[in-house]
Amino acid sequence: MSDNTTSLSMPAPGAVRGRRWGGLATYGVLLAALALIPALTDSPYTIHILILCFIYVIATMSLRTITISGQFPMAHAAFMGIGAYIAALASKSLGWPGWITIPVASLGSMAIGVITGYPFARLRALYYAMGSMFLGVGILNLIIAFGFYTGSYSGLSGIHPIFTGSKIPYYYFFLALSTASGIALYRLEFSRVGTNLKAIAQSHVVASSVGINEGFYRIFAVGVGCFFAGLAGASYAHYNLVIGPTSFNFLATLWLVMYVLVGGIDSFPGPIVGTLVLFLLPEVFRDLKYYAPYLSVAVLVLMVYLMPKGLVSLPKLVKARFIRRRKEGTGVDHVFRSESPR
Amino acid sequence: MEQVIQAVNNILILSSMYILVALGFAFLFNMLALLNFAHGAIYMIGSYVGYVLITAAGVNHWLALLLATLGVSAFGVFLQKFCFRPFVGDFNRSVMICVAITVFLQTTVNIMAGSKTLALPPFAEGIFSSGPVSVSHERIVTFCIGALLLIATILFVNRTKWGQQMQAIAQNIEGAELQGINVQRISALASALGCGLAAVAGCLMGAFKGIGPFMGDLMLVKILMLVILGGLGSIGGVFVAGLLLGALDSVLPLLLNGAASEAIGVALVVVLLLIRPKGFFGHEA
Repeated sequence: MSDNTTSLSMPAPGAVRGRRWGGLATYGVLLAALALIPALTDSPYTIHILILCFIYVIATMSLRTITISGQFPMAHAAFMGIGAYIAALASKSLGWPGWITIPVASLGSMAIGVITGYPFARLRALYYAMGSMFLGVGILNLIIAFGFYTGSYSGLSGIHPIFTGSKIPYYYFFLALSTASGIALYRLEFSRVGTNLKAIAQSHVVASSVGINEGFYRIFAVGVGCFFAGLAGASYAHYNLVIGPTSFNFLATLWLVMYVLVGGIDSFPGPIVGTLVLFLLPEVFRDLKYYAPYLSVAVLVLMVYLMPKGLVSLPKLVKARFIRRRKEGTGVDHVFRSESPR
Repeated sequence: MEQVIQAVNNILILSSMYILVALGFAFLFNMLALLNFAHGAIYMIGSYVGYVLITAAGVNHWLALLLATLGVSAFGVFLQKFCFRPFVGDFNRSVMICVAITVFLQTTVNIMAGSKTLALPPFAEGIFSSGPVSVSHERIVTFCIGALLLIATILFVNRTKWGQQMQAIAQNIEGAELQGINVQRISALASALGCGLAAVAGCLMGAFKGIGPFMGDLMLVKILMLVILGGLGSIGGVFVAGLLLGALDSVLPLLLNGAASEAIGVALVVVLLLIRPKGFFGHEA
């Protein structure tokens, strides 16, 4: 997997970071494998789980995008909820088809993210995390409070589907959606804008001194993240046809954060790996029923003690432990190849 | 007039409950610089230990409370040594381990006791009514214990040697070590006290509201609101914030429906946080 360390030698603005053919090939193989799965399996449940996985991948990738700018959002599931409810209401009351409601809902979620992000942009670190957590809880409570429109705790049902019949078209739809989102977020991260975001994360004082408008970029990051969160939520609404507030509460956000942390917050494939492992593992072993969460606990504990940088650091750890370095580099190597400080 | 008295009554009771639950969390944060996301789960496990002792082992209520507190405190020492101490300062990892602890405890309880809400037998039967006011003895007990523990904690932190040692460690670990303070032992004591407070809260609240494996989740959000509002780093802040949130949560539901009052409460907290991130009495930057 390609790992994207931010070395001190920043890339030229806008340039692609060296053709990482190895990395692209890995993604290509993964995509091909995923595209073939519906042909290999008959079980609709497998398809369903993979579809949910794609939705969560979009959500976790966008969560990570916000963390690039140094902010740690704890309200992501609530913005998924906003997207889901906008799409659901538009579909039910206005009768708009999915092709219209999903972009509208994503834009709506982004708008709300930007509006609420504006006052929060001045909070730092822990206070931003806590503030965004309360924001998420508050948004959810507001959604429930307007129960007349939103069905309160029972949620909304009867949303118009995009495809009728089997789940297979949904599968390819979500595969394409998550791939497109992944490409968009990847390009964002390694563009000039992405570099600005990373600069703000590393030192907002230095970044401001160079002329990077910290407030603008922090809100920008939140806006982008919320757009894709809304996208994930809205498309979930059109897939599941039923939505309820409990899917978007703080616990959901916490799990999204767990997926990202387990995969590795420092690199792009991190959230993808984390979601695949932490979401699919309990499903693969769902015969364990009530005991299934113990697996998640085991994964979390393993990550915390053995692989603090997440699963994507596994190849590096294996290499360090088992493969002797041919030539000892000078100390300079260690300075220039460090991970971005968190 | 009657309604005002009853309202004030309700506010005091609810506030004392919130303060009781948040006290352990605030204690852990002040002393160990740890945002214990697992506090809800420890609160929950305290109530279940109490439940088992009271119903299955037929132990006297107050003895069960004491035993549950001691048991959970011991668990807190274990947690501090293996789960909290290695990750001081690393937010990501401490959140991960706290979620792991929470899920582990919740799953264990779910398997062993089921997810139905169980009723912890109340600590005090009967209703006390004088004039316009009528309050159940249970609530009075909760209020008294909450108030007592709050005062005891403040006195402990400020007046006893151990409390001052904890403050020293919170301010500067190396300086404290240079003074000869045994950081490991005092941190273990702090963790034991914090978790013990959570257990007491669990038993009392459990008797009041019933217990379930996931009762800690809702409480955690309330606790976080309370502690952030009061100001990270201040026990007195917990008191004030507890009063404020208790007032909001008892008065607003009378005017609006449940979720809307929650939303307004949260909105108020958010606005206060934006105006003054430090909270009422916080002294962290």
